[in-house]
Amino acid sequence: MLSLLYIDPGSGSFLVQAIIAAALGGAFIVRGYWNRFKSFFTGKDYSKKKEDTEKENQEEIEY
Amino acid sequence: MQTVAASFKDPSGSVFTYENEYYRSINPVYETQYNHLLNSGLYDHLCKRKLFLPFKEYVSPIPAPQVWKTIKPIQLARICYASEWSFDMYKDAARCTLHNCIEALDFGMVLKDANTFNIQFYQGKPILIDSLSFEKYKEGQHWIAYRQFVEHFICPLVLMKYNHLSLQKIAITYPNGVPIDVCKSMLPKRARLNPNVYLHIILAAKKTKSSKKTTQFSQDKLRTLLKGLLNFVEKITLPKEKTIWDDYYAHTILGNGYFDEKASVISKMLDSIEYKSVVDYGANDGAFSKLLAKKNKEVIAADIDYNCINRLYQYIKKEKIKNIHPLVLDLTNPTPSFGWAAQERSSIFPRLQSDVSLCLALVHHLAIQHNIPLPNILNLFHKQSEYLLIEFVEKTDAKVQLLLESREDIFDKYSLNDFRNAFNPLYDLLAEKKLEATDRTLFLLKRKNEMA
Repeated sequence: MLSLLYIDPGSGSFLVQAIIAAALGGAFIVRGYWNRFKSFFTGKDYSKKKEDTEKENQEEIEY
Repeated sequence: MQTVAASFKDPSGSVFTYENEYYRSINPVYETQYNHLLNSGLYDHLCKRKLFLPFKEYVSPIPAPQVWKTIKPIQLARICYASEWSFDMYKDAARCTLHNCIEALDFGMVLKDANTFNIQFYQGKPILIDSLSFEKYKEGQHWIAYRQFVEHFICPLVLMKYNHLSLQKIAITYPNGVPIDVCKSMLPKRARLNPNVYLHIILAAKKTKSSKKTTQFSQDKLRTLLKGLLNFVEKITLPKEKTIWDDYYAHTILGNGYFDEKASVISKMLDSIEYKSVVDYGANDGAFSKLLAKKNKEVIAADIDYNCINRLYQYIKKEKIKNIHPLVLDLTNPTPSFGWAAQERSSIFPRLQSDVSLCLALVHHLAIQHNIPLPNILNLFHKQSEYLLIEFVEKTDAKVQLLLESREDIFDKYSLNDFRNAFNPLYDLLAEKKLEATDRTLFLLKRKNEMA
């Protein structure tokens, strides 16, 4: 326990960040495939269009 | 010139006041970062998105050779702390922090600090006020502020969701963020079923013990992490619950006539004086705050009920009202000064100075529910503002009777006469009006000139 007092609390989070990013990255890929799968059967486009994102990025943030 | 007590930790610069206005001095060590912030276009982009408090470069009023540059930000009317935010204010402050960081990445920068004190509410919306929070992104780096973000924002938010809504108050106990192991120890087991809670809190609490530095962390991974956090924050929602104060004016036995009359008396009284700012103590759902906001006054709506304040915040967001500032305040236990030397963060009262204090249907709660004698109540407001618009609710009133039903009446100094005796030494009476068919009287008082 004592040794913990000498470790910067932020440094312990490097490993956690790596694990989380890997886990979330996997989830995003699965979601991408799922959207494509849905699009194939419904004919609708579930992915966000690049132009929309660019337009949104210029406006005031809405909460 | 005076350095602000909260600004002494950052080697990049510090905040100081000069003739009651705030400035920020920047040290040479931050020069390259500052130039990148402006030259990359990030500054303009964030200001346009209303994510970042704009500033202007300024010639320092006092020459300081060690200072590289002085800037003057837009002056905020109020500083509030996280423990005074309602749930949705907390949540939007977290989103504001993440948006700042995500968008900074497009311009080759990253947020190096992610604490709640750097976010303030300006014109009804959260905004990042620390002009020196960005640093250049270095390929392969982790998010340096990740742990701080989790402890300052995620931990209180999940505690509010899974444990109790009043836990925004935990921010006073842990001004440097709620440690994840503390948060983990309080969360109910069912919270672990949420994969995000599991990853960012439960797993992180276990892995804290390792200081092992993993190698490269690509920019894609960093973006995934930030977007994952944003997604998580957006999904932290509350179940609907009713409080005792829900629809006070809708269900009150006093009815609409009472409300309309009260509104008209208040309006007339206040129109007779000159003022710019009002603190509405015990604002409830903000009905009277809204009335004053329409008169273009700066209104702080304070109430002990975090549900009411949350609803008011949702309302001002929806209606895009810029001059109402909601905050959670328990007058019997207000925010003290805290942090380093117990001075780093100021108590709430200097931050709530205003021209008018509005105290409607409040005195009987303080006096009868909390045993605060009338002179003590008046002394408090006397320090806060020049004018006091206050409603005295007599013992015969149904609401006071309700309060007295469950306790012994030990209040022999609670009458209209006692109230007059209490304010007389402190205030001049400007106007007085008894509301029809009630035992409630409104008083407009002006602070006596102490020199006289």
